[in-house]
Amino acid sequence: MKLLEIDRLTKDFGGLRAVDRLDLTIEAGMIFGLIGPNGAGKSTAFNCIAGLYSATSGRVVYKGDEITSLKPYDVCRRGIARTFQLVKPFPTKSVLKNVTVGGFLRSKNRDEAEEKALEVLEFVGLIDKKDVLGKSLTIADRKRLELARSLATDPTLLLLDEVMAGLRPAEVEQVITIIRKINERGITIFLIEHIMQAIMSLSDLIVVIHYGKKIAEGKPEEIASNEQVIKAYLGEEYVLAGT
Amino acid sequence: MENKGKRNPIRIVPPVLCILVLIVIPVFFRNPSFLQLMVLVLLYAYLTTSWNLVGGFAGVLPLGHTLFAGIGAYTSTLLFIELGLTPWIGMFVGAFLAMIAGLLIGLPTLKLRGAYFALASIAFLEGLRVVTENTKEIFGVKVNGPQGLLLPLKGDSLYYFQFDNKIWYYYVILFMTAVVLYITYKVSVSRLGYYLMAGGEDKEAAEALGVNVFRCKIIAMMMSTFLTALGGTFYAQLVRYIYPKGIMNLEFAFEIAFIAIVGGRGTIAGPVLGSFLLVPVAELTRLYLGGSYLGIHLVMYGIVLMLVMIFQPRGITEPLARIYNNILDRFEGARS
Amino acid sequence: MYLLEAIISGVTMGSIYGLTALGLTLIFGVMKVINFAHGSFLMVAMFVTYWLIKLTGVDPYIGLFVVVPVLFFLGFLTQRFLIYPAFKAEKDVREPISVILLTSGLWIFLDAMALLLFGAFYRTVKTSHSGKTLIFGDGDLIINKPRLYGLIITLLTSLILWLFLKKTRTGRAIRAVEQDRDAARLMGIDSEFIYDLAFGVGIALVGVAGVVLMPFYYVHPTVGVVFDIRAFIIVVLGGLGSIPGALIGGIIIGVVESVGAQFMTATWTEGLIYLIFLLVLFFKPSGLFGYKQEW
Repeated sequence: MKLLEIDRLTKDFGGLRAVDRLDLTIEAGMIFGLIGPNGAGKSTAFNCIAGLYSATSGRVVYKGDEITSLKPYDVCRRGIARTFQLVKPFPTKSVLKNVTVGGFLRSKNRDEAEEKALEVLEFVGLIDKKDVLGKSLTIADRKRLELARSLATDPTLLLLDEVMAGLRPAEVEQVITIIRKINERGITIFLIEHIMQAIMSLSDLIVVIHYGKKIAEGKPEEIASNEQVIKAYLGEEYVLAGT
Repeated sequence: MENKGKRNPIRIVPPVLCILVLIVIPVFFRNPSFLQLMVLVLLYAYLTTSWNLVGGFAGVLPLGHTLFAGIGAYTSTLLFIELGLTPWIGMFVGAFLAMIAGLLIGLPTLKLRGAYFALASIAFLEGLRVVTENTKEIFGVKVNGPQGLLLPLKGDSLYYFQFDNKIWYYYVILFMTAVVLYITYKVSVSRLGYYLMAGGEDKEAAEALGVNVFRCKIIAMMMSTFLTALGGTFYAQLVRYIYPKGIMNLEFAFEIAFIAIVGGRGTIAGPVLGSFLLVPVAELTRLYLGGSYLGIHLVMYGIVLMLVMIFQPRGITEPLARIYNNILDRFEGARS
Repeated sequence: MYLLEAIISGVTMGSIYGLTALGLTLIFGVMKVINFAHGSFLMVAMFVTYWLIKLTGVDPYIGLFVVVPVLFFLGFLTQRFLIYPAFKAEKDVREPISVILLTSGLWIFLDAMALLLFGAFYRTVKTSHSGKTLIFGDGDLIINKPRLYGLIITLLTSLILWLFLKKTRTGRAIRAVEQDRDAARLMGIDSEFIYDLAFGVGIALVGVAGVVLMPFYYVHPTVGVVFDIRAFIIVVLGGLGSIPGALIGGIIIGVVESVGAQFMTATWTEGLIYLIFLLVLFFKPSGLFGYKQEW
């Protein structure tokens, strides 16, 4: 089933075209990767899908319904959750409180919301720190908190924006495991990542964008040997060297 | 005091005890000036707790909230004077109007940044006060401009919400305060409360979790203005004379804001604590020293406010709550 | 000719409102802080001027050279020992609301102290300029001289301020901190010192306004309140951080107040000014000359 379809999505900031007629389709159940050099427009695309930015033109269609002009909270209510590249924990509140906010999306009852929060915290491995304040967490735990919070909203599609940035290799491994577990639960994942081994090993399909335009799409192995991709990341010279 | 994860029954004991003490006090201390003071303290406790719903929980800074007390007071009083309607009903009409006003004012202002919102709230308060002062009568109803309205005296009459003995005012405001505290508690453990907290901590993150921050703020605003208006009617019934500068007063609005903040905005007990601490001190200084040292209670207010903002900006409830919870924990530990 | 006089009176008074607003917009722009005590500092400036004239009989405009440094100093110390600590104490929270409350506390404190020390009397002072007027054409047009001097000094002060901000190193440092505090620090600018300085300058400007007002206005512990509220309205009207905005905004408000008084009661003009303020806030919050503020 086509879960998310993006049709000629374009976002301009004044004279700068950050996303240029982007087309892609995400099938339910897959892990879909988005890569590209810095400034290519990846987070902008995410923000358009999530409703934080309004698209200049083009459509975003989710489960057959057009969601292009929805506000972020409506997008979340439809079942699309997202994390932020620069994590945003609620600093003066406990981890449990943070995640319970997410839990309230599907339940008006505090006890139910809290139970959901506890279950999700257990799942991501943050349960021991449930009473720690947001501002006191390490970066790795903050990323986990961000994940937990969005999971508590019971999403069908999860947008992960560079959730592994700034983590040590061991921590990256842990996050990869969690992402696989999330996908096994049936949640479709759309992720932006710079850590190549991670995104290559996780993704079923990858889209590469450069200057806002899609320059390649396909399975990880195909992308790795794609000339355009190598040129975009490393420059002309490396194309001749091969992979 | 915020309830922690464990909802242990023992935690309800101290608040209940406090309420029982407050119910019983006037039976033993019948001194009229003492009662007068207690009524004032509770009125502030009521108004600051109502304020807290939008000033604490919604994270904005309304500095013109007495506007809504004014709407409540004038509505119930005008209905009383013109139609003989008992203020017990009139107060709810006023509260309903204040709620609408809260919505109309909130819609354009709640999306402004903190500082601008504060200024806008002041502008609305002063604006309405000025309009009231310039209105001698409207649609044939006498409003009396700056001289205000004198309530027809009905003596000791429950129906007309007027009492000779201050003790009845005391019990009414005690009941109102208890209700408003209960409402505050209920909100703090509800979805609205959590959503307001989230919107105040990080609006973008909250919206990404499905929180319509603006709508939550509007709801909090409407609840707050409704309750504040009820307090306005109480005040009108207490002093039996209202005039624009008296009830729609900027200094009073500031006082409510900073007592709530010194106590601890966003906490349940903070505003009440702030009121119980600051109001008696201010009143007593004003009564005993005010004559020779004009305005000394204001000097004190100013100093307290500055010190709290430098050393304990989230209010005094936080450190007190920690001590309180430690004591309770030890109590629980001793029993098990 | 009453209308013309009203307009001129509005312009002169408005320029002084603008001068007060100038200090506020500088502080608001550089530190993103609302200084609710601004009017109280004006009151302090006026009392200092009052006592200076009463005790030494010096010409008020010479008194500028005493009052202004004193107010600068007061502002500097206030920032360093009161405002900055409150600023730091609430680092986690996005909006410096505790500073707004701190300055409110300062406002209450200053006004109450003045009440305590000087009593609730309206005081005026007689200077060699009191009551002097400029008369055009057989009394067709009468302009109050002290008010005129007020306008002239306001314009001069604004010019000096503008030159200071544009041409001197310190001035440019202040503008740098206003635009991006962190970037400025990376450039080696001591932003804490700049805050102290900016606040001091803002209050010094209020000092000028106080001196200029004393010859034709009265002083009273709560005299600052009206000017305070006007100043905020002008800052929003003119645009945050804009010098011409503050001046022009001030003049607009002054003229509305003055001309309005010809046609309606003083309280209705009050109401009109609040209405203008709210309309600007809702429809063009960046004001006449301000730039779009991101938060």
